[in-house]
Amino acid sequence: MELQNKKEISGKVSKIGFILLIIGAVLVGASFMANKERAFFDYLIMYMFIISIALGSLGLVALEYLVGANWSTPFRRISEFLSSIIPLLILLVIPIILGMHDLYHWTHKEAVETDAILKGKEPYLNTQFFYIRLGIYFVVWFLFFIGFIKNSTNQDKDGNVIYTKRNTTLSTIFAPVFMITLTFCAIDLMMSLEPHWYSTIYGVYYFAGTIVAGFASLTLISVLLKQNGYLDPRIGNDHFYSMGTMMFGFNIFWAYIAFSQLVLQWYADIPEETFWYMMRWEGSWKYVSIGLLFFHFVLPFLILLPRSVKTNLNRLKVMSIWLLVAHYLDLYWLIMPTYTHKAGLHGPVFGWNELGFPLVIIGLFMIIFRRRSMKNNLMPVKDPKLEAGLNFHL
Amino acid sequence: MSYDATYTKELPLVPERNSFKEIDDVILKPVDSKPTKKWWIAISISGTALAIGLFCWTMTVLYGIGLWGNNNTVAWGFDIVNFVFWIGIGHAGTLISAILFLFRQKWRTAIARFAEAMTIFAVLCATMFVALHTGRPWLDGYLFPYPNQNAIWVNFLSPLNWDVFAVNTYFIISFVFWTIGLIPDFATMRDRTKSGIKKIVYSVLSLGWSNSNRNWQHYERAYLILAGISTPLVLSVHTIVSFDFAVSILPGWHTTIFPPYFVAGAIFSGFGMVLTVMIFVRKIFDMEHIITLDHIEKMNKILLATGTMVGYAYGMEMFMAWYSGYIFEQFTFLNRAFGPYWWAYWIMVACNVGFPQLFWFKKIRRSIPIMFILVLLVNVGMWFERFVIIVTSLHRDFLPSSWAMYYPTIYDFGILLGSFGLFFTLILLFVRVLPSVAISEIKAVAPGAQPSHKHEGGSH
Repeated sequence: MELQNKKEISGKVSKIGFILLIIGAVLVGASFMANKERAFFDYLIMYMFIISIALGSLGLVALEYLVGANWSTPFRRISEFLSSIIPLLILLVIPIILGMHDLYHWTHKEAVETDAILKGKEPYLNTQFFYIRLGIYFVVWFLFFIGFIKNSTNQDKDGNVIYTKRNTTLSTIFAPVFMITLTFCAIDLMMSLEPHWYSTIYGVYYFAGTIVAGFASLTLISVLLKQNGYLDPRIGNDHFYSMGTMMFGFNIFWAYIAFSQLVLQWYADIPEETFWYMMRWEGSWKYVSIGLLFFHFVLPFLILLPRSVKTNLNRLKVMSIWLLVAHYLDLYWLIMPTYTHKAGLHGPVFGWNELGFPLVIIGLFMIIFRRRSMKNNLMPVKDPKLEAGLNFHL
Repeated sequence: MSYDATYTKELPLVPERNSFKEIDDVILKPVDSKPTKKWWIAISISGTALAIGLFCWTMTVLYGIGLWGNNNTVAWGFDIVNFVFWIGIGHAGTLISAILFLFRQKWRTAIARFAEAMTIFAVLCATMFVALHTGRPWLDGYLFPYPNQNAIWVNFLSPLNWDVFAVNTYFIISFVFWTIGLIPDFATMRDRTKSGIKKIVYSVLSLGWSNSNRNWQHYERAYLILAGISTPLVLSVHTIVSFDFAVSILPGWHTTIFPPYFVAGAIFSGFGMVLTVMIFVRKIFDMEHIITLDHIEKMNKILLATGTMVGYAYGMEMFMAWYSGYIFEQFTFLNRAFGPYWWAYWIMVACNVGFPQLFWFKKIRRSIPIMFILVLLVNVGMWFERFVIIVTSLHRDFLPSSWAMYYPTIYDFGILLGSFGLFFTLILLFVRVLPSVAISEIKAVAPGAQPSHKHEGGSH
């Protein structure tokens, strides 16, 4: 059976990606010139979003092996390509390291000295240990990334089942490692923005958003490829229906986790915890908070509920973009209030300063996707489960 | 899904090729035949346990909950520990029948019926404890928002009242789900039986099922909708139970990870209990070729996954207690691990997180004796988890002058024993009067029942 995908992804993708990246980079540069502190927070949002897609995608690759799914095998490469930004994470973190002082209150030695709580947290929240932890995350993610991708691409040559077996083993080890590293990454990079605040569910909250972003980006790219004739004709409604369902399901999971955190802290009403929500309720932040509820959960839930939406490629495309934007908004909601509070503003800030960052993300992913698709098949052509995956029917 | 060594062919769920008649015969054998001596022995043991429980129950109603070990500091003792324990066990059934159904995990067919029945019985055991823990169970009717002359109205802001709704809804939906699944099987039993009375009973219960295309279409749709409704319900019940604790401001109870952590723990304990009973049932009723070792291995994988999730929650709680910088929080967790109840904490950690790690090994996942010990430990561990959460968080109050220890009395143990008696009595009755495996669903996954593709078995 000939499955080799001869059609190449057009060079335009790289070109447009490059242009977007340049425009984005210029805007980001200008943003840093105009308001350095604000730009650092914007940069952190962008960075977390990239981690969401990268790790969410790698998580999906692992998930497929872990549960032995075959319907998703024809799409696995897409997630693999998206996770290829993982090696770049270490370069992209540099601006955050430069902005440590602007971002993280606990890096201010004089503030820690006079604050008993922060003093108590010093063994964990100190710059050296912070860098060591970041280093551990990057190394662990990079090693698993290399492992999965190597086995998967090597299989394209000879179709040996040993690679599937190896990746299955790898995925079982990755599952707990993924959860732990992602949790502490979220605690370090985002939760410690408010070093007094704590919530045990925080890691699960970020994980839920990550998986939504992983599925949404996979769906978006699959639909785009399908509509432009890059995917095998056997890939049809049942595949897209399954993808839409996963997106829908995990979005409900996100809402469940978000609700759990909110209702428990609201009901207990302990000032040590509620100030975090108060910051997201003061001034016009209120509208962002309510907006997040509707934009991330209520509307997507109602729209994605009928089966007809999940099998209609155009609507599915809109919904996957929607959920990606919703995840960006979620990160904005998690990160930005620290800045506006510090700057004495009573509401969210949004202007040209923020616009460059998403462009950089889109540009980066376009370039990386095209580059990887030139080197590799768009489908794991000799994966033993591919045939079953292509012929998948509900 | 399981594959053969080449990952190209899915392994059949029911390995041997059985005719549909044989499937009927095997599954309905316990229903058709007279009870054996072993069954009588088993039910007399569980009946005795139930009788002891009923005695302690009656004593509690007559003399009040002063008979229990609860005291001013540890106001919640065995009553709530056992309630949460049984409600948790009740989670496996609906998870298997609803969530695994939505995820299209066909291996669920062999265990779904049994697990659903266990759900219903476990929820009954759980309600017994909440009904009693109010102290004056004859007034429990006021838990429902029903207009009355005394103008007593429920407090909707109280999580305890959310419990009433969550548990009742869960029971009703689970029961409906279970009976709908039974309809095609009742029809099979109706068609097989020769006794006149049985025929009438089964005819009524099968609601005129005729196995027609139309019947199946409606049935499948109803099943899917119920699965969709049940899925959020499974999550909501234990979420609400966790709210009973987590909405408070008590260190050890108030922590945001409680809802997903309780749900994972519930699934874990539910699967533990299902396996405990299943291991016997498949052996005694010769169903080893229907509930295969592959099914059991998959269940063990779920035990490993959920046990590790629970471990994640334990770790997160510990870390955040330190990270919070809140001295009471820190004290509670140190006290949990190294205080007077240290042994309960470490039993919990060992049984729920430690021992299940052995399921990483395929040999252990497929070894019945080892797995039996491990699932027993899971049951023990999950009971201790609730004990640890409730007692260790309460017994050392904010004021050291009100510190106290909790000593359960003979009545506490009696009622606990009675709940096991009730549970196993109901199970023993269930396996005698209803098919403990869904006959129609097993037929649907038997080899040859599925439409096959042209490529199947061909070379690639």
